[in-house]
Amino acid sequence: MTGQAVTSAEKAATTLSIGKALNNGLRRAMEDDPKVLIMGEDVGKLGGVFRITDGLQKDFGEDRVIDTPLAESGIVGTAIGLALRGYRPVCEIQFDGFVYPAYDQIVSQVAKFHYRSRGQVRLPIVIRIPFGGGIGAVEHHSESPEAYFSHTAGLKVVSCANPNDAYWMIQQAIASDDPIIFMEPKRRYWEKGQVDTDGEPYPLHSARVLRPGTDATVVAYGPMVRVALDAAAAAVEDGRELEVIDLRSLSPLDLGPVYDSVRRTGRLVVVHEAPSNLGLGSEVAARVTEKCFYSLEAPVLRVTGFNVPYPAARLEEEYLPDLDRVLDAVDRSFGW
Amino acid sequence: MASVVSDTDLDLLLLIRAFEEALLDLFASGEVSGTTHTCLGQEYVPVALEPMLRDDFVLGNHRSHGHYLARFGDPAPLLAEILGRAGAPCAGVGGSQHILRDGFVTTGVQGQGVAVATGMALHYQRTGQRRIAAAYIGDGTWGEGVVYEALNMAQLWQLPLLVVVENNGIAQSTPTTRQMAGSVASRAAAFGVEYTGLATTDIGDIRRRLGPMIDEIRSAPHPLVVEFDTVRLGPHSKGDDTRDAHQLALARQRDWLGALRAADPERVDAARARQRAHVARVVEAVRERPLSEWRSPDAPA
Repeated sequence: MTGQAVTSAEKAATTLSIGKALNNGLRRAMEDDPKVLIMGEDVGKLGGVFRITDGLQKDFGEDRVIDTPLAESGIVGTAIGLALRGYRPVCEIQFDGFVYPAYDQIVSQVAKFHYRSRGQVRLPIVIRIPFGGGIGAVEHHSESPEAYFSHTAGLKVVSCANPNDAYWMIQQAIASDDPIIFMEPKRRYWEKGQVDTDGEPYPLHSARVLRPGTDATVVAYGPMVRVALDAAAAAVEDGRELEVIDLRSLSPLDLGPVYDSVRRTGRLVVVHEAPSNLGLGSEVAARVTEKCFYSLEAPVLRVTGFNVPYPAARLEEEYLPDLDRVLDAVDRSFGW
Repeated sequence: MASVVSDTDLDLLLLIRAFEEALLDLFASGEVSGTTHTCLGQEYVPVALEPMLRDDFVLGNHRSHGHYLARFGDPAPLLAEILGRAGAPCAGVGGSQHILRDGFVTTGVQGQGVAVATGMALHYQRTGQRRIAAAYIGDGTWGEGVVYEALNMAQLWQLPLLVVVENNGIAQSTPTTRQMAGSVASRAAAFGVEYTGLATTDIGDIRRRLGPMIDEIRSAPHPLVVEFDTVRLGPHSKGDDTRDAHQLALARQRDWLGALRAADPERVDAARARQRAHVARVVEAVRERPLSEWRSPDAPA
């Protein structure tokens, strides 16, 4: 086993990309618990399309890193059977749009087994989904299906936005006894940052203030956290201090930090790639309105993808929320 | 030549028959909420298989009261589950279609049990337990894509998966001939999966035929599809039978109970009366129980 080599490699490389941090997190989870299995399309020798499972089959064997047929429903169904026999399967869905064939299994079995068995069964399954656009790919490689799963009682949904969270959240998700949909910001896989492999992880289902500010609150998750942080940096030139909050957990939502922030700033902009219609932003807006009505100086505004199928690659820059659209929304909030 | 059914098997067959008949009565009187699907006519399949699957994991479907009773023999917990009364294995949350009890689970979602069974079979194969995962499905279920995803994996990975097909010739209201191109046998053959078809209702005959095949799955794991040419005597659910009188008469002619009565009417009728009385007592007892309470074992006190 390569445990020692990995440990020294990790210590040497505290700066990691999100992709590598996920890879290291998976490796550590597999070392910690022999019941952890990885299964998916091309996850073995290739290491997955995005190389998130790179080297794991070589080091842990074909029994623990299982290349499957193109069969998402079969992959998730098989994972349920394995989980019922004591394993902790981690399913890789190659691209966001490929999860739909597995939707039936996820919604009808993964989400409901615990409930309908009167809590006798727990399904510690992680379903990893690289999601969102920005890589010049086609529509079913660029989608943001997180709201479907967040809408489904019985599932937990999280999304990491930086390497340190990637490293820890994947391990926390695998260690959880509940099924977790793990949304990975694929366009950010190559972004690097500090990873503290010896530190204490932040709680999995907690939102986190990434940048304190006093004038307006910007909430984002996954790939849009980078956009929100860039917008906050740019807003300083306009004399505005934006508070940026990374939701991290989409179900359950942890909106305590958002309420606290909005009660101070009075303004909220929610950013996500998914279309606005019945998206996470709608839920955040509704709850903030319910809890912070008298603190709000302006309506909660959403900066999102549009209510159309994900566009062709040459048009995606027009579709994806960017720094300008976030700053425009902040301006509109102040113009109220 | 037909074998003589044992007292144990006869009682079990008639327990299931009496249970399903009682359930339809309870439905008619408004005591069953939701829906229910009875296995009238198909009782012999799980009864025949039960001794061969005793230590295995069995996955049922929306029509699994017989599968449950063949395995556990006691109707009270099943009825409590369906009626939402105390003593239900899933507190009435699972109901008729979603039952979990030692080594047994059902789901009403068509075909999904085959994929779940595949995962279990992968575990059994890896750990060399000589156990198998057995999934009951119907002819209609072969319209679902997940069945093929699972069969492909089970054959590719040589997993001890037994798919028991209860082909009753009708999927809800659509005859199998109008919803299945080709056949179950040819579909199994396309994956190189071993297949056998059984038209008999003779329990001894079924066991003689399947015993060696199931033993072989244990010693040299691989999937096996067994198709029973069977008959559904009752409606799909309740009051939704679209078959005409002639078709229903043809179905009744194939009832295993008729064959058994012809051979030994006194013994069969006595057993039938015994099981009807038994189920009647269970119904009386369970309907008097308090409503079940839904409480997760890990909920805070």
